[in-house]
Order: sequence, then structure tokens, then C-alpha cells
Amino acid sequence: MSYMRINIGPIHPSTHGVLRLVVDLDGDTVKNVEPHIGFLHRGVEKLMETRMYMQNPSYTEKLDYVAPMGWDELYVNSVEMALNSKVKEDAQYARMILLEFQRIASHLLWLGTFCNDVGQMFTMFMWAFRERAKVLKLLEDVSGSRMFYVNMRIGGLMRQLPQDFIARAYALTDYLESHIKEYPDVLDANGIFIERTKGIGKLSKEDAINWGVSGPVLRASGIEKDVRKDNPYYFYGKTKFNIPTSMQGDAYARYRVRYLEMLESISIIRQALGMMPENPDVAGLPIKLIGPQAKPDIIINRRELPRGEGLIYMVPDKQKPYRIYLRSPTYTNLQVLPYISKEVKLADLFSILGSLDIVMAEIDK
Amino acid sequence: MQENKDEFLNSEKEMSKLVVDSLKKYKMPVNALFTKMSDITQKSAGGLLKWSHSNSLWPLQFGLACCAMELMDFGASRIDAERKGYLLFRGTPRQCDVMIVAGWVTKSMVPRIKRLYEQMASPKYVIAYGECATAGGPWYESYNIIKGIDQVLPVDVYVAGCPPKPENLFAALMKLQKKVGGKTDGDNERSLSENMRRAEAGRL
Repeated sequence: MSYMRINIGPIHPSTHGVLRLVVDLDGDTVKNVEPHIGFLHRGVEKLMETRMYMQNPSYTEKLDYVAPMGWDELYVNSVEMALNSKVKEDAQYARMILLEFQRIASHLLWLGTFCNDVGQMFTMFMWAFRERAKVLKLLEDVSGSRMFYVNMRIGGLMRQLPQDFIARAYALTDYLESHIKEYPDVLDANGIFIERTKGIGKLSKEDAINWGVSGPVLRASGIEKDVRKDNPYYFYGKTKFNIPTSMQGDAYARYRVRYLEMLESISIIRQALGMMPENPDVAGLPIKLIGPQAKPDIIINRRELPRGEGLIYMVPDKQKPYRIYLRSPTYTNLQVLPYISKEVKLADLFSILGSLDIVMAEIDK
Repeated sequence: MQENKDEFLNSEKEMSKLVVDSLKKYKMPVNALFTKMSDITQKSAGGLLKWSHSNSLWPLQFGLACCAMELMDFGASRIDAERKGYLLFRGTPRQCDVMIVAGWVTKSMVPRIKRLYEQMASPKYVIAYGECATAGGPWYESYNIIKGIDQVLPVDVYVAGCPPKPENLFAALMKLQKKVGGKTDGDNERSLSENMRRAEAGRL
């Protein structure tokens, strides 16, 4: 029996980024999906070998443009490991706070676009972007840029925090909490949303381990794994937070896990703000053309990024990386797509794709 | 009825007399007068067209990389571009006037972008949004990136920044509106009579 083969993308509105899907259809049922990647490939790992250490953060930020600060911090921390330099204690708190704010902004953007994908048009999108704009405004006042912050320096941040930062951050967490708690009223009470997410794109516990997925996709399949808990960096060991998990492993579970993660992030931010001293000294080293020399040891560093576990493997040279490898979480998460979208309807393919939360720049590198 | 007809004929005669008198007075050749009159009608009709074009610029829903995040914000609650008539993002190129190239353009993407541009109905405009679409940006040394979309398509407005704020896109679209409305600063299109006047001045 022959199937109808259709081409979706690379510029389809439902694909997040320039992803091309070749789909074999039997009527309306998907028989096989083949993702084609590489439309954003630019050779970032090779380009990074030609730059000095502190010129590279602007490359790593553009890997995951929905949450740039995660990769920025991961790379700069790898450089700090290579240079054997310590991060200031106040700066560690400040980094935790900024990273968690970035995680909330990333999940808000995901929620807005995901609801567009499943046909819950534009209400959630507008609400999520309203809150995201508030978060980005705070990050802009800290770093000077709206989207690509390049805020991390060796040993701390680019500059001191604004004077009213702590009060503003507290006010923002209150604002976010009160608004985020309104979301289930339009999502969990919405028949269309439930119909299009519950039981769609199921990924069992064993399959999740075998495919090597990470982040919210893994936790939605019932595995309690989070780098912040397993291998705590900064003061994540001191803070108390839960890892939201779900046993269902479908698109609804992934939404639920991300939703609860936003609330957990708010509680982490509050704890870190409470522990941070009143006038924190967070400024790191300024960028110099020739910086301190690195010791030639292989660096392996990992972080819990909003989309999963990011890893940097770096062989340092004296002033620049000799070889660098970036393990992007969404690359492995996308591999699951053909497996879990067999025998679903074509319309459900996009709620599965949306629930995986992919960023193409990170996949293509 | 008859009176009306007479009146009409009389007025026509008067008009032609007036024209002839004025021609004698200003020493203007007849064909020059007609070109001037056609200029006026063209201006009024073309102005209407341009005005309506410039106030319904529909962009193509087409994001490549990071700058597409700011495109999303452009349509969201903070900026609300719909109030100016810019925001009717269409999924098909056949209904669109403006292509906003937001992000870096790889070599494998070039034929697809070209094809999308060719599918758009004329008149069509291109905005290069961000450093990568303008000149390659940070990927200038990469082997797989073309150095600016203007190597492939004719660009009307460039927007600088990495990424530019959504407000910058708003300003760019207002600039494009001016250009479509025929009111660009410095580079005004010369009208037909203006050309003629210049030619005559040269002859004299």
C-alpha cells in the first residue's frame, strides 16, 4: 500500500523555526515523519575556536534565542573552570535569580505559542507575552539589552545590579505569581485544549530513558531528574524546591510540568533574594584582549537549561578554546518526534511538536 | 432641454477660448498643457492607490532565527502593531506585500526565500531586519551564511540591531509607508512635466 507523502516547511507557521517535515499520510493518519534539519547551520563550534574566550558568549547566546542567558552562563562558567577562578558569592545569587527569571520568560513564550498551535488562539499568547515583557524589562535594566544580554563576565556579572533591583524583583515575582495562577482558568477548563493535549504523543518511561531526552520532556514521563538537584551548582543546594513530574508522558503532562516549573522558579527567586545581602557586589572582570591563561585540562560542564540538560565539552588553549562541543538538549528531544507521532492525526502532529519545545538554532548549530 | 444644450455648447466654447487665451498669454504649447493635465489626473489617481497601499501593508509570516522572537513581540500586547494596519501576518505569500527577513540566511535557505519572493504579488517590498539579514552579522566568517539578503533580493528598508527592538520594526514600517506613499525625503520621483520643464530649460 502506498501513502501520500507531503512536505511541511521549512517555513510553515506551525513549525518553531525552519524545520522541514516529510510526512507519509494514510488519509489523515500519520504513518511516518522524517524531520530534515540544517536550515540554520552556521558552524558555530568551529567559529568559536577562532575567537578569544570572552568574545564567544555572543555566539553561545544565539544557540537558544528563547532563553539566551542559560547558554551564556554555561559557557562563561566553563571558562571560569578553565581559568580556575571563583565566582563572587553575591554574583552567584544574582546569577541564580537572573537564570530563573530567564526560565520563566522562556516557558511563558513556549506556553503562548503552544496554545496557538493547539487552537487556543491568541488569548493565552497575549497574556503570556504581557508577563514576558515585564520580565524582559527587568533583565534589560540589569544588562542593557532586551534579548541578547552578554551579561556574564569572569567572576560575576557585567556591572552592578540596579539600586532598586531587590525590591523590583520581589514585586515582579508577586505580579508573576498572581497572573500565572490565572492561566489554568483558560487552559484546564478549556475543552479544546484538553482534547488536543491529553493522551497525545505519549512517551513511556523506558522510551524516554532509551531516547535520551532531557528537561521537561523527561520529567513529564515520570523521571525525577534535574541537574539543579542532582549536581547542584551555585546555591541551588541551599534552596528548597520540588521537581514537578507527571506519570502520563503526553502533551498535557509536558504543559503541566512546565507550568509548575514556573511556580517553582518563583519560589527559588524569592529564596535567593532573601539570602542575598542588601548591597550586593556582583561585578566581574572586565573584558581584556589578552586575559589570564587557562590550564590545559578538559572541561565538562552541564546545566539545567529551560529546555533540558545542556553540556559543554571544552579543550582549552591558553587564550581561546582549542576545541569545543555543545550538547544541545532539543536535538535529542526532536529525535523522539518520529517515534511518538506514529498513527496520530496530522493535526495532532503539531501539538506534539509544540509540546517538545524545540529551538532550531540550537539543533542546527 | 434646448436651452441647456445651448448653455453647454456656450460654456464649452468659453472654455476652449479660455484655454487658447491662456496659451497665448503664457506661451505654452498645446501638448505641454495636455501632459500637465494628465500629470494632475495621474497624481490624483496614483495618490489614492499609493495611499491605500501604504495603509494596508500585510507582512508574510516568515521568521528565520532570533529576530523572529521580536517579530512575535511586535504582534503581541506591548506594541500592538495592528493599530497601524501592519499586522495581518499571512501564511501564504500570494496575499502579502511585505517580506520581513528576520534572521541569518543560510545557503540552503536562499532558493526557498527566492521562491517565496517570486510568489508574492507585485508591488512587493523587502525589509532586512537585524544585522544578519543586513550584512551577515556575527556569522560573517561562516562558510554557510550569505552576507546580507540584499545579495539575493532588492531590499527597501534596513533595520540595524542585534536584534532590533520591535519599536525599530515599527519605525521601519513607517518609513516603508512613506516610500510606498511616494514621499521619501531627498529622493523624490520627478513628474513628467518637471522633466519637460528641465529639458526646455536646457534647450533655452
